[in-house]
Amino acid sequence: MLFWFAKKGIMMVEQDVVRMVNEVLIESFEIKPEHLRPEAYIFNDLGLDSLDIVDLVVALQKKFGVTIRDDARVRTIRTLGDIYNFIQSIKRESNK
Amino acid sequence: MRRVAITGLGAITPLGNSVDAFISGIERGENATQYMPEWQKYKGLRCLVAAPAKMQDEKLIPRQNRRSMGRLSIFAVQAAQQALRDAGIARKELVSGRLGCVIGSTMGSAESINEAFETLITTDFDLSKLTSTKFFQCISHTAAMNVAQYLGIIGTVMATNAACASALQAIGAGYDLIRLDEQDIMLCGGAEGLHPTVVGSFDILFATSSNYNQTPKKTPRPFDAKRDGLVCGEGSGIVVLEDYERALKRKAKIYAEIIGYSSHGNGNHVSESNREAIALCVEEALQRAAVSPQDVDYINAHATATIQGDREEAAAIRQIFGDKVPVSSLKGHIGHTLGASGSIELIASLVMMERGVIYPTLNLEEPDKDCQGIRHVIKPLNKEINILLKNCFAFGGINAVLVCKKGNYDG
Repeated sequence: MLFWFAKKGIMMVEQDVVRMVNEVLIESFEIKPEHLRPEAYIFNDLGLDSLDIVDLVVALQKKFGVTIRDDARVRTIRTLGDIYNFIQSIKRESNK
Repeated sequence: MRRVAITGLGAITPLGNSVDAFISGIERGENATQYMPEWQKYKGLRCLVAAPAKMQDEKLIPRQNRRSMGRLSIFAVQAAQQALRDAGIARKELVSGRLGCVIGSTMGSAESINEAFETLITTDFDLSKLTSTKFFQCISHTAAMNVAQYLGIIGTVMATNAACASALQAIGAGYDLIRLDEQDIMLCGGAEGLHPTVVGSFDILFATSSNYNQTPKKTPRPFDAKRDGLVCGEGSGIVVLEDYERALKRKAKIYAEIIGYSSHGNGNHVSESNREAIALCVEEALQRAAVSPQDVDYINAHATATIQGDREEAAAIRQIFGDKVPVSSLKGHIGHTLGASGSIELIASLVMMERGVIYPTLNLEEPDKDCQGIRHVIKPLNKEINILLKNCFAFGGINAVLVCKKGNYDG
């Protein structure tokens, strides 16, 4: 399957984006793969906190070669699916 | 003022990650020094040997605690946990406000500091590439604050960062806090993480061992005629200090009572120790302990195997104790664990006190003429130890001496 539907009817996300975001969460935050569901809330379900969000941004920037630290959309992220969508958006914008 | 007991010991060392493993290694006459081939990439580094400790079980520390810990903080947490278990301190004491911790180190995590600068240098100085917790690994009080955060300690938390005197100064500070009735229990000691840049800081001063890269087990050689410098090690030693009456009341095992402590600057040179300053510190510690030199049964020397440092320490000991009191250095076994050395070596000394045996200075085959006139221990010596003296001398001209009296092991 090439795409994952992040939010039904809203956006298709490349499988590579899902895999790479999940790799960041597994490698940098030691989250078990079975907990990586798109609907999982990053604070309540995945156990990240404010310091982790800083590190998550750093890790995602490194993984995807993008600059997102000052992007206002970072502050709207609530779920893992939101991260997939956000990264997918960034990638599309950079390809335009 | 109140009396202070030592009631718990914990150690991560180049010879093993527990007090038992550490002491077993010493008893087997092991030397933890090994060749470090990967250090050849550092241009100008002459010393290619070190005494590393083994990082293990670090993932037992939850990630959100561990993320702010560099290598030395992980060692400190593990040693602190051992010491608390050994002392039988209940969890509720940690959050009583009457239990604190003072832990020193030469600096923050050298490995983390290097990683931070490598990140900046390789990203055109892009600060956004640094993780949020790197700072907490690099700060000078990283070991103390990480131990306190992990254990939930809300009592006094301090760091004594005085290079090789850090751990003994931490114990001295904890001793004062309990004596003054400000705290009842203190976790005290030092921690250090090995890194080639730390070795390099000694290497450029020609203070490291460099003639034994191919025969690492022959170095360091404290007090020996063929000594050529120190070998860096790493680890952590943490002791539990406790109000003596409290320890008696709960029938705790008391390894020793701290009866004297002194710390002085030498005021004349940043890297050269001198016999007068050392003697001043030793004499003041003895005076405060209200004991005379002939009352001391064992001296655990600082003796790192540098030409100048060993000579000056031997001269000070000779001046005060003559050749009557047995002297040994543990650097031949575990190298110089720098900020952790005072507490790691004190722990071994307390075990010697309990067992009535003095462990020798490994690699001391022929005492240098400058180091003669004191009673070197070159093979295990069975001897009752009622009072011991622990020396630590640091770069920056900071000296520290602790005097301990044998405790009540029965509880």
